[in-house]
Amino acid sequence: MQTSLDVQYIVELLPILLKYLGVTMEMALWGFFFALILAVVLAVIKVFKVPLVHQAAGLFISFFRGTPLLVQLFLLYYGLPHYIPALAGMDAFTAAVIGLSLHFAAYMAESIRGAILGIDKSQMEACLSIGMTRLQGMFRIILPQASRVATPSLMNYFIDMIKSTSLAFTLGVAEIMAKAQMEAASSFKFFESFLAVALIYWAVVVFFTRIQHIVETRLNKAY
Amino acid sequence: MITVQNLSKSFGQNQVLKDISFEVNAGEIVVIIGPSGTGKSTLLRCLNYLETPTSGSVEIGTAKVDAACATNKQISSLRKQSSFVFQNYSLFANKNALQNVAESLITVWKEPKKAALEHAQTILKQVGLADKADQYPSQLSGGQQQRVGIARAMASKGEVILFDEPTSALDPEWVEEVLVVMKELARQKQTMIVVTHEMQFAKEVADKVIFMEGGHIVETGTAKQIFDNPEHNRTKAFVARAAKNALTSFDSSML
Ligand SMILES: Nc1ncnc2c1ncn2[C@@H]1O[C@H](COP(=O)(O)OP(=O)(O)O)[C@@H](O)[C@H]1O
Ligand SMILES: [Mg+2]
Repeated sequence: MQTSLDVQYIVELLPILLKYLGVTMEMALWGFFFALILAVVLAVIKVFKVPLVHQAAGLFISFFRGTPLLVQLFLLYYGLPHYIPALAGMDAFTAAVIGLSLHFAAYMAESIRGAILGIDKSQMEACLSIGMTRLQGMFRIILPQASRVATPSLMNYFIDMIKSTSLAFTLGVAEIMAKAQMEAASSFKFFESFLAVALIYWAVVVFFTRIQHIVETRLNKAY
Repeated sequence: MITVQNLSKSFGQNQVLKDISFEVNAGEIVVIIGPSGTGKSTLLRCLNYLETPTSGSVEIGTAKVDAACATNKQISSLRKQSSFVFQNYSLFANKNALQNVAESLITVWKEPKKAALEHAQTILKQVGLADKADQYPSQLSGGQQQRVGIARAMASKGEVILFDEPTSALDPEWVEEVLVVMKELARQKQTMIVVTHEMQFAKEVADKVIFMEGGHIVETGTAKQIFDNPEHNRTKAFVARAAKNALTSFDSSML
């Protein structure tokens, strides 16, 4: 049994793993981008209580919050293509991005909806009073104000999403976690390999948490 | 130009407006007075469909909406015929003064952005705030915010501007500057319906005064009739009380 930590191994492994950080970040950024769009759409549907669609949105949110991300990824990548042949050609990266988007959209929709409901209702009345439609009021006045309120929690979700991309290795995406797993399997230095990948995730999260604080300070200053 | 017929509004079991009917001609300044909780705000909000009346019809300019068969299209055209000045200003918090005024020109009237901003600037100038164009609402005093609110209402090209106690939320020092702007609008024959406790303002500019109580219009007349020679006892009592308050207190918010 190996007793001492092989620091040398970790130091040499870090640059190798870092080459795969790009894939991880790409997944997180695309995932967040699509999640944000979908979340705004879902939140607006729920706030306006659009008939029928509103119930569908509720069901969507309930399902994607109520089941594990890993199960959702498996359903999407290994399950659905059996029934929807068009999905059979989907690569693992795309599947991971779609899965992350759907999952996080469900959470982000709730936080955006909360932010919208927190905006004083006189703001929408002012929109209507000058002849704007509800939709115009929503996109020009309410959402810009709500986005300020929601930004800190949305950034939390982004950070959470970066960590969640590690699940994509189970679909076979060659991201940083997959590489660490491969290195561990060939060197048998499991602890060192996974410690190295943990350190990288940690550094990335600390970096984005710093950015989050800067953004929050800025937001508190603006108008 | 404005015809309100048999307008009623209930919140649940609570009937707040009871069969209200009146007319306003183009260029008229109508002041609505009455005790609080009487339904004055609700009436104004129904005129703009910020509240949906339970029954009755509202006609402003070319738009007519009957509560029994109101369509979204009718409501939206009704809203374009009027604009609203809120007691608590309700300026768009994420827009500066100029953008607040330009918003309807851009989104509703589809003016090109540059023209809309220039247009908005001339309206801001009319309310004496040309130099505050780039200030956000939180950076303006109450009086300045309400003047931007009036400018925003002016820009929206409605036939009538509805004022719901525009000076009630203001510190006394800012009341006068807002009244000055409103008097100037009155001089230009801008049609207005004003809910207010400023009796002096009513006497000076109102073509018609409506006294409301308990969801009814009790009495309608010229300012002279209502203040100097009211027919109904209830009107008499209210006017007397208002006059007494004005004498004994410099704080108009106590009314
Ligand atoms: N959104 C609402 N829901 C329930 N009751 C309301 C609502 N708005 C106003 N009311 C009630 O209607 C009555 C009239 O209110 P309002 O129109 O604000 O009177 P005023 O402006 O004359 O003071 C009050 O009793 C008030 O409690
Ligand atoms: Mg009121």
